Amino acid sequence: MTEYLYEKDLRPLKYNVLAAPRQDRTVRAMAAVLGVRVQVLRRHLIERLDMSDMENMPARWEAAHAVQAGGGGHDALADALGRDLFVRKIAVFTPAEMETAYGKARALADGGTPLADAVEEGKKTLREVITP
Amino acid sequence: MKKTVDVSIPVGPVHPCWKEPVRIKCETRGEHVIGTEVEMGYMKKGIERIMRGRPWQEVMFLAERVCGICSVVHNMVFIEAMESISGITPPPRAAYLRVVVNELDRMASHLLANFSYCYTIEHETLGMYLLNEREHVLDMLERITGNRVNTAYMIPGGVRYDLRPVDEKVLRETLDLLDENIARYTKMFETGPMIALRSKGVGILTKEQALEAHAVGPTARASGIAVDQRTRHPTYKEIGFEPVVRTEGDNYARIMVRFEELKQSINLIRRALAMMPDGPIRGGGICKGGEVRYSGEAPRGELTYFVKADRYGRVEDIAIQTPSIMNIDACSHYMLKGVSSIADVTSTFISSDPCIACNER
Repeated sequence: MTEYLYEKDLRPLKYNVLAAPRQDRTVRAMAAVLGVRVQVLRRHLIERLDMSDMENMPARWEAAHAVQAGGGGHDALADALGRDLFVRKIAVFTPAEMETAYGKARALADGGTPLADAVEEGKKTLREVITP
Repeated sequence: MKKTVDVSIPVGPVHPCWKEPVRIKCETRGEHVIGTEVEMGYMKKGIERIMRGRPWQEVMFLAERVCGICSVVHNMVFIEAMESISGITPPPRAAYLRVVVNELDRMASHLLANFSYCYTIEHETLGMYLLNEREHVLDMLERITGNRVNTAYMIPGGVRYDLRPVDEKVLRETLDLLDENIARYTKMFETGPMIALRSKGVGILTKEQALEAHAVGPTARASGIAVDQRTRHPTYKEIGFEPVVRTEGDNYARIMVRFEELKQSINLIRRALAMMPDGPIRGGGICKGGEVRYSGEAPRGELTYFVKADRYGRVEDIAIQTPSIMNIDACSHYMLKGVSSIADVTSTFISSDPCIACNER
C-alpha cells in the first residue's frame, strides 16, 4: 500500500491487537505449525496484515479448521503446509512464496521422499520468508 | 513497468457517513477500486483488560458499554455465559422478557443501520422516516427497562423489572404502528429506482467469500448462509424461529434482510407476549467458577464471550468476539474489492453495518 506523509506508525496498535488473548493463542498455534518463534511471526504478521485481518484472525483460523475437520482438501501435502490456510484464509505468505515451498516439497514427495520429510522441507522454505 | 494503481484515496477517519472513526485506504484504477486496507485504533478502549480481575457485578456493566447500539445483547450474552457456568436457569417469564427486550434492541440497531445506508446513498427522506420509527422503539425500551441504552436489564437468574399490564398494552399498540410503517418503508426501498441503481449488484459478497471470512449476521444471511445463533437459543426455539436468508449478496440484499428481520422481530415480540406466563421474574442463584464459550445473536451477528471466572464469580479472563470483527474483514477484503465506483465505497461499507466500537473493544 502507498505511504502517506501523515501516515501513523501502526506497529504498536497492531501489536496490541496481536497480544489480545484469542489472537495470542492463534499466533502461538500458527508459530507451532510453522516451527518459528512467536516474536518473529508477530513481526511478520504486523508487516503483512492490516488491522481488520488481525482482529479476524482467530475466527478465520477456526473457520479454516472447521472446514478441514469436515473433510478438507484431497492433497495431504498441501494441507500439511497450509497451502490454502496461510495464503487465502490468513495471508501469512503470498501465493508465489507458498507455491515455491509447495513446489519444492511436491518434487521431493514425488521423488520418493517420505511425506513428513517433504513437508519439513517445504516449511523450511516458508521459514526463510518469515525469518530475515 | 505496467501501472496498475492510479490513486490511493483515504476515506475517513472522519467522514460524514461514518458513525465512528475508521480509515479505509482505497487503491484505485480510474474509478475502479482494486484493493482496500482498513486502519483502526482511533477508539480502542481495552475493555477486556479492564474487565479482568473484576467481579461479575462490575463486568456486566462494562460488557454493555462495549457497544452503545447493541448494549442489550452484550448484557444478555455475558449474563447467560455466567448462568451457563453456574447452572442457573431464569424463570420462564424472565426468559420471555429477555427476548422482548433483545428484539427491541435489534430493531433499534437495524433501523439505525438502514438509516445510515439511506443517508449514505442520499435518500435522506427514507432515512429520517426510519429514525423516527427508531424513537418509538427506544421509547419502548425506556418504558420496560428504564433506559434507552445501557439498560442493565438482565441479571443472573432473571431480569430487573416486570412488564406491567399498562406497558404491555402500549407495547402492543407500538408494535402495530411499527408493523404498518415499516411495511410502507420496506416497499419504498424495494421499489425506489434510484435506490436500486445504488444498491443492486454493488458490493457483492459471495457465499464462498462469506464462509472464508467467517461473515455472520445479516451480512452472511444476505449471501445465502442460514446462520443465526437464535436457532440454538432455548427460548427462541420455544417461540419458533427461522432465519431470514437472501442469496444476492449485494448491498440491496443486506438492507432487505434487515427490513425483513424488523418484521420478524415484531412478530417474535408478539409471540413472546402471547406465550409469556405469569410468575416470578427472578429465580436467584449464585455465580460460580468455571470457563465457558457462549454465543448469542447480536443485531450484527454472532457475538461470543469467552469467560473464565473463579469460585467467587470474579472474571479471571475474558475475550469478546464481536460480529463486526468478521463483517468488517469480509467487507474490506471482498465486498469493496472490485467496486466500480469510489462513490460506492461508503455505501458498501455501511451496508455491512460496521461497528467500530465493537471491533476495537
